[in-house]
Amino acid sequence: MTDEQGTSGAILVVGGGISGLTAALEAAEVGNDVFLIEKSASFGGRVAQLNQYFPKLCPPSCGLEINFRRVKNNRKIRTYTMTTVKSVSGAPGNYQVNLEIAPRYVNSNCTACGDCAEACPDMIDNEFNFGMDKTKAAYLLHDMAYPRRYVINKAKLSADGAKAVKAACKYNAVDLDMQVQNVTVNVASIVWATGWTPYDATKMDNLKFGHSNAIITNMMMERLAAPNGPTGGAVVRPGDGKEVSSIAFVQCAGSRDENHLEFCSHICCMATLKQMTYVRERYPDAKMYVFYIDLRTPGKYEKFREKLTNDKNSFFIKGKVAEIVPESDGGVTVVAENAVTGDKIRQKVDMAVLATGMQPSLGLEGSPVSLNMDNSGFIISDNEKGMISAGCAKKAADVVTTTQSSTAAALKAIQISRR
Amino acid sequence: MNIQPDLEFIQYLKGVGGDTLKKCYQCATCSVVCPLSKDKKPFPRKEMIWSQWGLKDNLITDPDVFLCHQCGDCTAKCPRGAKPGDVMGAVRAYAYTFYGWPSGLAKLASSAKGLPVMIAIPAVVIFVMWMLSGAMGFPSAEDFAHHGYQQFFGHWDFRWYAKNIFFIVCFMVPSLALAVFSAYKGISNLWKAMAEKHTMNPNFRPSVIQFGQKFLLPAVVEILQHVRFRECKVNADRARGHRPLMYAFIGLFIVTTWSLLANDVIGLWVARFHGPMTFWNPVKLLANVSAIAMLYGIWVLWTNRAKAESDAGLSGNFYDWFLIWEIMAVGVTGTLAEVCRWAGLVQIGYLIYFCHLVAVMMLFLYLPYTKLAHLVYRTFAIAFDKCRESSFGTDAAVK
Repeated sequence: MTDEQGTSGAILVVGGGISGLTAALEAAEVGNDVFLIEKSASFGGRVAQLNQYFPKLCPPSCGLEINFRRVKNNRKIRTYTMTTVKSVSGAPGNYQVNLEIAPRYVNSNCTACGDCAEACPDMIDNEFNFGMDKTKAAYLLHDMAYPRRYVINKAKLSADGAKAVKAACKYNAVDLDMQVQNVTVNVASIVWATGWTPYDATKMDNLKFGHSNAIITNMMMERLAAPNGPTGGAVVRPGDGKEVSSIAFVQCAGSRDENHLEFCSHICCMATLKQMTYVRERYPDAKMYVFYIDLRTPGKYEKFREKLTNDKNSFFIKGKVAEIVPESDGGVTVVAENAVTGDKIRQKVDMAVLATGMQPSLGLEGSPVSLNMDNSGFIISDNEKGMISAGCAKKAADVVTTTQSSTAAALKAIQISRR
Repeated sequence: MNIQPDLEFIQYLKGVGGDTLKKCYQCATCSVVCPLSKDKKPFPRKEMIWSQWGLKDNLITDPDVFLCHQCGDCTAKCPRGAKPGDVMGAVRAYAYTFYGWPSGLAKLASSAKGLPVMIAIPAVVIFVMWMLSGAMGFPSAEDFAHHGYQQFFGHWDFRWYAKNIFFIVCFMVPSLALAVFSAYKGISNLWKAMAEKHTMNPNFRPSVIQFGQKFLLPAVVEILQHVRFRECKVNADRARGHRPLMYAFIGLFIVTTWSLLANDVIGLWVARFHGPMTFWNPVKLLANVSAIAMLYGIWVLWTNRAKAESDAGLSGNFYDWFLIWEIMAVGVTGTLAEVCRWAGLVQIGYLIYFCHLVAVMMLFLYLPYTKLAHLVYRTFAIAFDKCRESSFGTDAAVK
């Protein structure tokens, strides 16, 4: 695939979330060949885990479904799931990228009938739901998974399980001898859309995440509220399933903090306001407490904030929660100083939501090639080298900003291939 | 409300360890993680914004500034590296200078620039005394073995009052008296200011005895037991160093008092109470144990401080280091002087003893202006804290 200028016209997009999908489509729809790779078993990324997302509070099926269809229909895009970049050699315009495809143990015969999962006796923690429920060791990542193909966690599969799964498949799709595959692709430029990982809440030892079921993260809240989540959309306390009559939102949990993430993740204030609407829809009288340093509601979202600050059972307290005490009844007490009145507050609540920030995944996991990164692990684009960052790999942002930056990244990537 | 920031005050704080104060963004993590602050009007979040805004009057009348033990829990959890613990220390440094009398001396003791003069004053005074005493020489090895440093300022045959004691009293007692007077003045001014700011009930004051029993004594007991200090988590080592150090001072106070009594009162009738004590004398044992406790305590604090500066990025400053150096100097010169006496090294012993006298005089003379002032200011701030929570505080009366 070399064009007349001697460059490979193709573009590699690393990461198949909303950002990678956008970049891949934008580049492909103007005629470039695109390799779109994704580390997990399905495209969709973090957006797939949300209950609703801004700006219109759509369910993720809304935005992802149309993008999946566009990808499916576009013959310029080749998709690889369970695939990561191992190494990159060559020069801008002509990179040889070594990709590693992890074994899925299910081949393309799969019709997603689900018989293997039904037959499988082995249960594993459901990582898509942050471990709040279990799933079979042969599973579909989520209802909307694309490609629509099962995946098997072979390490957790018992000998009996292996037999059962194999026997259950009518299409001979289960292949437990599948090996790691290596593929080399030739591309002009690489768009890094590697996204983000929720900051590890156990690192804030004073917030006691993991010490009580009542303490969850904002992403866990999304799963709780999602119709395809562990509770079928009921916002209840994990563990005992108690309905919540009071809830505290702990803003900046590990964000804007030089001991954790030193930047503002940009989305957590709006995410909390959004999640307050989830709670309000389900519990008209529940008391909601938001503990914040500054409430950041950019642009038109000011109206959204007003709606919630006018709610008579919502209380906004300026002061960061610096201590959470698990209580014997399953609830927790959050402790903060109200910087306006100057007194400490000890608020007992049924559930506390830690608004944890976005940690750039590539910075966290380490990059396979040398990339320009800032102190926090965000990738700084090097357009000359054809190494372009997009979405939350570039900076913490909401979906709208992410898709804009992905379109921009696609344009930069195309420019390298047309030199 | 018209706020007049005191820019010079802010600059001062930045110079004595509060250089990070502008980084604070008022998240109030510090007030929650502080093990010493209470639910009503906790600290140090409010002190941080007062410091940023240069609201000096709020800070120097704030008992919480002195209640802080600078354990560093707030600094460890601070998301911005604003180091509230150090800022509180800087405010205290300012307060000691502010309340110190005479102000010239207080100012001198507030920065490293003054250090040469701070050392020169006692050195010159003691040297002049030494010249005036006419001793000005070294004793024979035999005399040294027999009298130790008890004839540093010579000897006369007036049995009611030893010449050496006379000369030591000549400079030590005025130094101490000045310190006591200055501390008294400082404390009474601070108390008045605190009482006014925190609206203590003016018609209903505790009697002296009530005050002693109800507030001051419990405060002292609390301090002796290190009740508050031991609450600290991040920097538990400081309490480990501070406790032996404090007991060492108490031990050495007892030794000094006994020496005075034995030499100058009992010694008038019973001759053997004169002269240096033998090694196994219980008082001498107490003195030596105290000296070791002092050296151990100050060593812990020294290494701890140095470690905090290299690891946690604490800024080094004269205010914090002066006291460490000063106590180290007292301990080391005192111990070395004793060692020289056992070893019979007259000249070196005398020189070290001279340094020891200088160090001790500095300890007394600059007590109310340097970090050592926390000895009195914190004691009374804890007493005030107890007082304002009692029925004598209007807050409680309203309830």
